[in-house]
Amino acid sequence: MELFLYTALFSPLVGSLFAALFGASPKSKIAGIVPSILLGVSFLSSLVLLILVMMTGHTIHVEMMTWMATGDLYIPFGFVVDQVSVTMMIVVTLVSTVVHVYAIGYMDHDKGFNRFFAWLSAFVFSMMVLVMSDNFAGLFIGWEGVGLCSWGLIGFWYKKESATWAANEAFIMNRIADLGMLIGIFLIYWNTGTLQYEEAFAAMPSLDTAVLTWMGIFLFIGAMGKSAQFPLHTWLADAMEGPTPVSALIHAATMVTAGVYLVVRANPLYDLIPNVGLFIASLGAFVALFAASMALVNRDMKRVIAYSTLSQLGYMFAAAGLGAYWVALFHLMAHAFFKALLFLGAGNVMHAMHDELDPFKMGGLGKVMKGTFIMMTLASVALAGIFPLAGFFSKDLILEVAFIEHHFIIYAVLLLTAGLTAFYSFRLVALIFHGEDRYKHFGIDPHEAYRFMLVAMSPLLLLAVIAGAFKMGYFNMVTELLPATEYHVHSATTYWIMTIGTQLFVIAAIAYAYKKYTSKDIKVPDGTSKMENSFGYKLLINQYYIPHFYENYIVKAYRELSEVFWTKVDQKVVDATVDGIANIFYQTGEKTRDMQSGNLSTMLKWMVAGMVVLLSLAVVFGLAARHSGEIKTFLSGLGV
Amino acid sequence: MLDHILSILIFFPALAGMLGFVVNKDSMRSYGIAVAAIEFFLALWLWFAFDSNVSGMQFMEQIALVPTFGINYIVGVDGISLFIIILAAFFTMIGIASLGETKDVKNMIITLLFLQMTMVGVFAALDAIVFYIFWELSLVPMLYIIGAWGGPLRIYASVKFFLYTFAGSLVMLVGILFMAYFYYQATGQWSFSILEWYRLILPESFQIWLFLAFFVGFAIKVPMFPFHTWLPYAHGQAPTIGSVILAAILLKMGTYAFIRFSLPLFPDASVYFMFPIAVLAIIMIIYTAMVAYAQKDIKQVVAYSSVSHMGVIILGTFALNVEGITGSVFLMIAHGVVSGALFFLVGVIYDRRHTKLMSEFGGLASVMPRYATIFGLMLMASVGLPLTINFVGEFLSLLGFYKQSHILTLLAGIAIIVGAIYMLAAYKKMFFGEITKEENRNLPDVNRRELFALIPLAIITVWLGIYPKPVLGTINTSVEGVVQLMHEKAISEEAKKRIPSLDILINKTSAKEAQ
Repeated sequence: MELFLYTALFSPLVGSLFAALFGASPKSKIAGIVPSILLGVSFLSSLVLLILVMMTGHTIHVEMMTWMATGDLYIPFGFVVDQVSVTMMIVVTLVSTVVHVYAIGYMDHDKGFNRFFAWLSAFVFSMMVLVMSDNFAGLFIGWEGVGLCSWGLIGFWYKKESATWAANEAFIMNRIADLGMLIGIFLIYWNTGTLQYEEAFAAMPSLDTAVLTWMGIFLFIGAMGKSAQFPLHTWLADAMEGPTPVSALIHAATMVTAGVYLVVRANPLYDLIPNVGLFIASLGAFVALFAASMALVNRDMKRVIAYSTLSQLGYMFAAAGLGAYWVALFHLMAHAFFKALLFLGAGNVMHAMHDELDPFKMGGLGKVMKGTFIMMTLASVALAGIFPLAGFFSKDLILEVAFIEHHFIIYAVLLLTAGLTAFYSFRLVALIFHGEDRYKHFGIDPHEAYRFMLVAMSPLLLLAVIAGAFKMGYFNMVTELLPATEYHVHSATTYWIMTIGTQLFVIAAIAYAYKKYTSKDIKVPDGTSKMENSFGYKLLINQYYIPHFYENYIVKAYRELSEVFWTKVDQKVVDATVDGIANIFYQTGEKTRDMQSGNLSTMLKWMVAGMVVLLSLAVVFGLAARHSGEIKTFLSGLGV
Repeated sequence: MLDHILSILIFFPALAGMLGFVVNKDSMRSYGIAVAAIEFFLALWLWFAFDSNVSGMQFMEQIALVPTFGINYIVGVDGISLFIIILAAFFTMIGIASLGETKDVKNMIITLLFLQMTMVGVFAALDAIVFYIFWELSLVPMLYIIGAWGGPLRIYASVKFFLYTFAGSLVMLVGILFMAYFYYQATGQWSFSILEWYRLILPESFQIWLFLAFFVGFAIKVPMFPFHTWLPYAHGQAPTIGSVILAAILLKMGTYAFIRFSLPLFPDASVYFMFPIAVLAIIMIIYTAMVAYAQKDIKQVVAYSSVSHMGVIILGTFALNVEGITGSVFLMIAHGVVSGALFFLVGVIYDRRHTKLMSEFGGLASVMPRYATIFGLMLMASVGLPLTINFVGEFLSLLGFYKQSHILTLLAGIAIIVGAIYMLAAYKKMFFGEITKEENRNLPDVNRRELFALIPLAIITVWLGIYPKPVLGTINTSVEGVVQLMHEKAISEEAKKRIPSLDILINKTSAKEAQ
């Protein structure tokens, strides 16, 4: 069985290195095909492991070799396949296989084809390390590894200023959070003496609550960066500068869910500190609403989906924070399927529209892109949570959790967000696929994507539709490891009112979106309409002015302070002091060299002066030595 | 031969350097490479023969020099100094091999070989006077390298480098003399042997003054804030090879000396000064990182980043526990490899364009993809990405210090953020974007000679990042000895508490004799 583990883990690495071999040479298909096949292998291995874990309930734990060992610290490269990690492995390998195959078509005309696959497979490897590690340090390896690959992929088109800027922003913002994570790791080490999950979690119940709280907070700060939670969320929308398959894989399905995975993984810790959990849930609910509100008005197709991702991550944290870890993980899985599908569909649209991202400039694409149209619509239905698609089972469950746990504010916020989600999703669908053929004004001749790209997407479509059916089987498996709380509303009437009410609300939101955005009067907004000048719209389109604030008050301040430190402090104070001291010696020498000008009379004068000084010093010291006793009494009399 | 391997390692390059004067100019390069390669293989042999389960000194040699005053030529090597010696041999070798078009190449190679003698000498010396001699002698070749092959401000930079560090060393010399005097007072015997000094337990007030005297010498060498301003000038003016050796090896003399002298000789003073020094280290980390961000010259960015990382080394050293000190020693190696490689990389582009201003570049990724890749790898190592060599050292240093102070570690941890900021910004300016300058359009990618230096460094960076055990284990053994010694010597309650007891057997006689 270890063989399957190693195959699942290392075949993406092999694929990445293979593609990297072609890094400097011109595009060759093989650099895309081989990594894709290797990912397929990785997926199959993960599937075998999943079946094994499901059937037997056994988990696999291997220790490959020592990484660091010093003092009492011992960190191995250890990997574990248990109910939680195998879920993540399936999600990661499945989505990435799909995305790889899709990208062979999507990146077809790109000069950096080979480099793209090297990065993409490297990302999958890092992600596998992240989810499979059996200790916090290993998790951190993957954690930073995915950050690096995300940097390389967001800035993939490195000639574009906006892309490299976004890449650096993502990296640095994640680093801020990683510091929190690192401190969390230090805390765990010095309090439990180990970084292995099992032993560390076993030691935690005996620790002081204050210490545990700090651990929970710092680890969660790490999670906030990767999962782009407020206030570290701005990088995710900017990360849409990367190629669309990257957005589908990294910024929808896998990397951004790493934070959720961390909280789920650390469930023994968060169970001990329900207050932190409540904070996580509240923040999650807030982010869900906050992000959804920004998605309402945005005019960039990919950004809308990015905000939607952010919002759904909020849902996951809400569930995880309330202790419903398996629910969070289930939503993570379902979300990965339909959101990746949505992004890949958006990629098709972008290709058809020659990289145009404004849905107002599209319209009526449903006629020319049937396949993409159906897929994106179904993905949006799943995202909106309509029965019987995946989103219904996973998202409604989160609402129920909030309700059952009596956190009615969180419940209300999440319910409202569900309506907004439906609205903005179908706003997008309506604007892109229905209504007038507005693209004709821009002289674009759209075409459907390659057939194999659509075929590649179909597994995701299938799963987005049927994933809900796995709920109970999944529950039975994963609760071997996670707290097995079933969430049932106590009275059947309440349950039905809630479910049907939610469904009606969501459907109403969809209908409203359709009505509003399929009309013939839709024009490309030009900034003159009343709505666009309203305060609310401006607030939302400017993302609550948060990026503006960061740019002007943090980035700029940092840059200016750096300038000051260099030009004013380092040169004018620190270095000037050193040179000043040196100068004193130099000047003294320079000034006093006149004494030795060689002029006899001058030198005689100085000699006399020196004699006088020396003699008077001799007299003073001589007197002082003779009368030392008297001086002492005199001084003590003065109270010195 | 193995009995005298350290002496051979020290004096062979110098003798070969002297012979170099009679070697024909045209064959000087191959001669230099051959000598440095022999030296490097000798160093590897030393590693091979080294017993990594022994925490104390190995391959010791002793020759009396001035017996009346206890001055002896004593050399020896332990896990702490071993890898720095190997690194010094390694860098001299690849430095000479990858030397570009240089005027007076003969003089340069001879100077480098002399420099190598002083470097190995410093790290092998176990007698304070011998140590001091090598320490000071190392200034001369570097003065010459900067002064003769440097940029337009080379005289100012080299004189500043020399006088500044020399002034600091003199204070250290006073400390050395006092230490020997105290030893004489305590035992009636003169001795400058460091190992004998280890047995001496000094009252805390003495320790504090001596610690300060040594501190001045070491801190300027490191260089610690606010004594760091000689470094940007030296790096800015020095030729590539000078900067590489300076960053990779010479700076390590300061941090190494902290572990060799300050910690075991003055454990109480080390604890006493732990927090002030940590604060200085944190200022070093954050402040110089910010200054690095403001630079326009890529070499200055690397120079300031070098100072910033030295801050983490200092912090790890003053964690005073095994995790931290092991981490800081490992980080010395890592910093040597990574910042050495970065200076090489700067040299590559300088040779092509004769400018180091970042605004002159842009879009190099498409012109020089291999260069961009290696630079990218070293950049990621510099920002401390896991599975690169730097991460191991940085992680352990910070982890170690966390035991001493939570909040200070949190502040020091900002290193991972600010480090990413200036490095990514510099990389973006140089490699990303469209090519704006015509001259950059046809730059040749790295050539074979340059790859000879860069590939091994890249391999080490990844190899020791993934599998640091062979180095880390050896360092760990010796560091455990140091920490145990410190714990046993410590007088004050505070120091006993801060420095953990490891319950391992070290040279017990030394502790007993000291009573």
